Amino acid sequence: MTVEQAGRRGPVVHVDPVDAELELEPDETIIEAAWRLGYHWPTTCHGQATCTVCHVEVLSGAEHLVPPDDEERDALETRLPGAQRRDLTRIRLACRARATGDAVVRKKGVRPTQTVPIPPTGPL
Amino acid sequence: MSVTDERRKAAARPVPFGMRDRLRVPKERYYDREFFELEKEHLWPRVWQMACRLEEIPRPGDFVEYEICDQSVLVVRQPDGSVKAFHNACRHRATQLCKGSGRLPGGQIVCPFHGWRWNLDGTSSFVYGADGFAPECLRPDDIRLRECQVDTWGACAWINLDPDARPLREALAPAADVLDTVGVENMRVWWWKETILNANWKTAQEAFHEGYHVMATHPQLTSGLGEDYPYANTEYTAFENGHGRFQGRFDPSAGGVSQGRPAQAFLDRSRTLWEGQDAMTLERDLHVFRGMRNRVPPSEDFPTAAIKALSDYAQGAGIPFHPTPEGMRLWGGEVFLFPNFMVLPQFGNALSYRIRPHNDDPEWCRFEVWSLTMYPEGDEPGRAKLKGRFAPDDHENWGLIPRQDFSNIERMQRGLHSRSYEQHRLATEMEQIISNMHAELDRYLAG
Ligand code: FES
Ligand code: FES
Ligand SMILES: [Fe+2]
Repeated sequence: MTVEQAGRRGPVVHVDPVDAELELEPDETIIEAAWRLGYHWPTTCHGQATCTVCHVEVLSGAEHLVPPDDEERDALETRLPGAQRRDLTRIRLACRARATGDAVVRKKGVRPTQTVPIPPTGPL
Repeated sequence: MSVTDERRKAAARPVPFGMRDRLRVPKERYYDREFFELEKEHLWPRVWQMACRLEEIPRPGDFVEYEICDQSVLVVRQPDGSVKAFHNACRHRATQLCKGSGRLPGGQIVCPFHGWRWNLDGTSSFVYGADGFAPECLRPDDIRLRECQVDTWGACAWINLDPDARPLREALAPAADVLDTVGVENMRVWWWKETILNANWKTAQEAFHEGYHVMATHPQLTSGLGEDYPYANTEYTAFENGHGRFQGRFDPSAGGVSQGRPAQAFLDRSRTLWEGQDAMTLERDLHVFRGMRNRVPPSEDFPTAAIKALSDYAQGAGIPFHPTPEGMRLWGGEVFLFPNFMVLPQFGNALSYRIRPHNDDPEWCRFEVWSLTMYPEGDEPGRAKLKGRFAPDDHENWGLIPRQDFSNIERMQRGLHSRSYEQHRLATEMEQIISNMHAELDRYLAG
């Protein structure tokens, strides 16, 4: 992955193992970019920074992610299962992390969705 | 039942402490619990009210929670730019869905209790463990969010909890049409603050329904005239639907309210207004006016030339400020929109107030103040955010003018409880916006 790619405007977050390239729009979080680009992303709170199910492991480029705010830090410290045993400096919430430059993260369960991310009518 | 003019012919309910005439207001209307409960039952659930400024929800998925007494409504920007409003209660077990304001990531409204979800248009998008429910409990029409009426005008979203309410513009007539002449649609937030006052919401707003108090309350605005400060050059109008207006009696063809003032007096007053509240006259205006200081021959009217310069400046900068004679008549005046919203325009700016009951208590209110201005086209300010809640005597955050007004409001509320006191006695012309508001309020409470 090269930093200077022709035509690129926004920062790109690469997601393993699905091998997705998410180009973030200004002010957009990782999960919002994924939804916009048609990926399913694990969550139950849908971006409220409460479930922590969306969390990613940052493999590189952590310095290109806007530092976590109090809400995100609190969610990771108090609600992430097994938080005590984990290195929280490498874990971020995809629903809060914004990027200023490129980064690589790992998240199991991310996959392209067949349908649009927000169904126009309910499933029932 | 909808609020129509027909209903006014036959009052269905007796109103306690009702208005008997237009000259007196019984004091209990400002603190009596039963009266307050009647407002909660028959006024707020049926009247159009300003729910948010549209700049608070600039993008699809942005929301604002609007609270009025014990009711909470979500105003949500839709993907097509339109606005919808929903009662803020989960269809499962009533949990409030969103609080405050912000974004709905991924276009989903999510209940924090069991994770049910809805799309931005209120349709159900997910029920966790749906198998565990009887089908009749999950009928899509039944579990979609309950909508409430919403419409937009004046760069604001307005809601009405009454599904049968008449259309917004009909209810706001003629006050909204009057305000259209100053371009309120083009105004955006310069700052927005609030305070909590120990006073009934009506006590608070009525401190702004006349200019009669300026002599005693705001001596710095009377150019040293004291009791000679003229009160009769303001014209008051009670409109239908409970609205009202006051404005100066002057020739609106040229210099507006300040016409005829010498240069230095005009500049001094402009500076006092800017320093006193950072609203209506802003630094930008002052800068343009000062630039005219030595450029207007004594034979010409300085304010007229200064306002012309302001409009030329705006044109050059792409600011959508187009003064009209009707609009200029309103400068320095006020338009009140029943029941609790005010706009005080001046140049391309305005002050705007919204006053709501606070903490379910007739003796407390939440008083919001917006300073509005016009920005160059294409250079809109970002999302409007409340700067904060500040004590009414906070010198840092409130200018002298609002602090003077706030201090009277809480003292009025104290005086209402005096055993000696029975009712307000109102000036026939100068305080008619107050009596007109109360008369309209009684129509709601009675019908
Ligand atoms: S989506 Fe739930 S915490 Fe991020
Ligand atoms: S109360 Fe909202 S999902 Fe149960
Ligand atoms: Fe005042």
